[in-house]
Amino acid sequence: MKLDLGNPDWRQTLPPSRSVAADAPVVACAFSRDGKIAAFALGDGGVRLLPADIKEQAPAAGEPVHQGAVLSLIADPTGDGFLSGGDDGRLLRLAADGSASEITHQKGKWIDKLAAHRDKGLAAASVGKMALVIDKAGEIREFGPHQSTVAAIDFSKDGSRIACAHYGGITVWSIGQVSLPPRRFAWAGSHVALKWSTDGKFIATGTQENDIHVWRIAQATDMRMQGYPAKVKSLSWSADARWLYTSSQPVFTAWPFAGKGPEGKPPLQFGDEGAGLISVVAAHPSAEFVAGGYDSGELQLGDIKTRRSVVLKMSDGSAISGLAWSPDGFHLAVGNDNGDMLVIDLRR
Amino acid sequence: MAMSSSQVPVTVLTGYLGAGKTTLLNRILSEQHGKKYAVIVNEFGELGVDNDLVVNADEEVFEMNNGCICCTVRGDLIRIIEGLMKRKQKFDGILVETTGLADPGPVAQTFFTDDDVKARTRLDAIITVVDAKHFLGQLEQGDEAQEQVAFADVILLNKTDLVSEDELKKVEGKIKAINPYARIHKTEKSKIELDAILDKGAFDLKRILEFEPDFLEHGHDHDHEEEVKSLSFTSDRPVDPDKFQKWMGALLQLRGPDIFRSKGILAIDGAPKRYVYQGVHMMMDADWGQPWKDGETRSSKLVFIGRNLDGENLKRGFEDCLK
Repeated sequence: MKLDLGNPDWRQTLPPSRSVAADAPVVACAFSRDGKIAAFALGDGGVRLLPADIKEQAPAAGEPVHQGAVLSLIADPTGDGFLSGGDDGRLLRLAADGSASEITHQKGKWIDKLAAHRDKGLAAASVGKMALVIDKAGEIREFGPHQSTVAAIDFSKDGSRIACAHYGGITVWSIGQVSLPPRRFAWAGSHVALKWSTDGKFIATGTQENDIHVWRIAQATDMRMQGYPAKVKSLSWSADARWLYTSSQPVFTAWPFAGKGPEGKPPLQFGDEGAGLISVVAAHPSAEFVAGGYDSGELQLGDIKTRRSVVLKMSDGSAISGLAWSPDGFHLAVGNDNGDMLVIDLRR
Repeated sequence: MAMSSSQVPVTVLTGYLGAGKTTLLNRILSEQHGKKYAVIVNEFGELGVDNDLVVNADEEVFEMNNGCICCTVRGDLIRIIEGLMKRKQKFDGILVETTGLADPGPVAQTFFTDDDVKARTRLDAIITVVDAKHFLGQLEQGDEAQEQVAFADVILLNKTDLVSEDELKKVEGKIKAINPYARIHKTEKSKIELDAILDKGAFDLKRILEFEPDFLEHGHDHDHEEEVKSLSFTSDRPVDPDKFQKWMGALLQLRGPDIFRSKGILAIDGAPKRYVYQGVHMMMDADWGQPWKDGETRSSKLVFIGRNLDGENLKRGFEDCLK
């Protein structure tokens, strides 16, 4: 993997990309497991599929698959399509050709957040106060109810557990052992984002009070990071679990988790200050890079090793609302509130 | 595509069980006004609501983890509004129906506290539907009925056909004793012109002045035995802004849980414009309003609606802020 941010070419020209416009906001984006398709979930119920290869002809947009807005989208951990959840209460499996089949329909509820564990072929969905785990065979197991609506959900590294964020803290369930009571980690207030670290040791949340909270799972100790001007709704752990990247700052902001952890240390902030605040942050799937989309529409690529950043997309006033790396780390899918869908090819 | 940057107005409907909230809601939705509303109903809704965009809410009241005990928000509203804003199809307004026993405070505070909600929506008004026949009885049953009236910008005094003139007067007197600043509309079967209740801008600082005729009205006969009531203070002497900030900050910090709503128009010493503010419990918003005209009497006015308000203490506090 070589992305040379020091190369003058990178600083002077924008990388090649494919840009397609939808007339509804992009809610989320994802690449398929095989990396061949970039998918964009839309506020009109549609999921637009574009080939990752930016030279390949893009198929026309299909009919909306959800009745209202799509709320979440992930790569299907069991195939080369996607899973989407909507405010119509439906959780859909989308094949690579865009055809949809229903996994579950929770009438009157929202399928709010989705997570997947690729090796185990598991998917998880938050539905009101419940968390659903869907296995390879399509069987659904329910966890909950939690004390309030589940606001975010994620799998542990080994896929044996799920963590749910809610009011008052987080709850961790063992998926295989339904009889085991869940572990609860309390912290006052409402937790609105959650990411399990890529080494499985930590769970980070963003709170309603603009803080970040992190628990060390084995020791059940916790820490709090403050000083953000807005809610931290996007969190992303680096592939080596040494860094926790966070949104809601004008530059890349990473908390150090190598060694003794971040206690008593400031976060590492690097790169050029962008326009506005980072609204979505996504660590590279294998290397030391990170992509950050701003609420101004700007997109930057950062390199934590050299502490440099380059602009991949200029600000246009429309907040970046979706950002995803292809599994091989050579493509980025980017969407904004205006409905612009971008696939960027970073190979140069 | 055309993305509107203007904030979507939110109207909150409160009222005791059976007062006529759902009837009002269905009336708003069925009227031929050509407008599209998203409706957030509570899970204990009494009747069906006829609309294609109905969201069921759980009324999740969250305390903010910031040391402020009355600082509560509706977590479900934050999430639902964020979700609704993802939709392609935009709407002209959002109607929020609360349960009959709900405290309107957390709903109102959500619009003061959450930046995402503030960026996309604005609280237009709190409408409280009052059951003329049962209101006096409901006052005896708990705090909810009087809190709902105390918070209201607009009150529908409903089911007037079920009570006598005298009874109606008594109910109206009671409402005014709690909250003389809300506009009262007497209705049967929640029947009302929608212009009278929607898009009122009751929480718009710039429009506090438009409420002045009511707002500055004096001479309501307060029943001083009332636990929840309103108090107002006026003065023609200019206000010292530093002293006022200090006093109001400390007051809301200390007494915030009991002060449901506060509003004020202040003549700041030496300032060419009115200073307007409003608060819900401990949360406050303030801005400069209309300029004073030449020769105009620069008078300040403060209004508090709340529980167990200490009039003497408030009066002294306000007077200490005057030059």
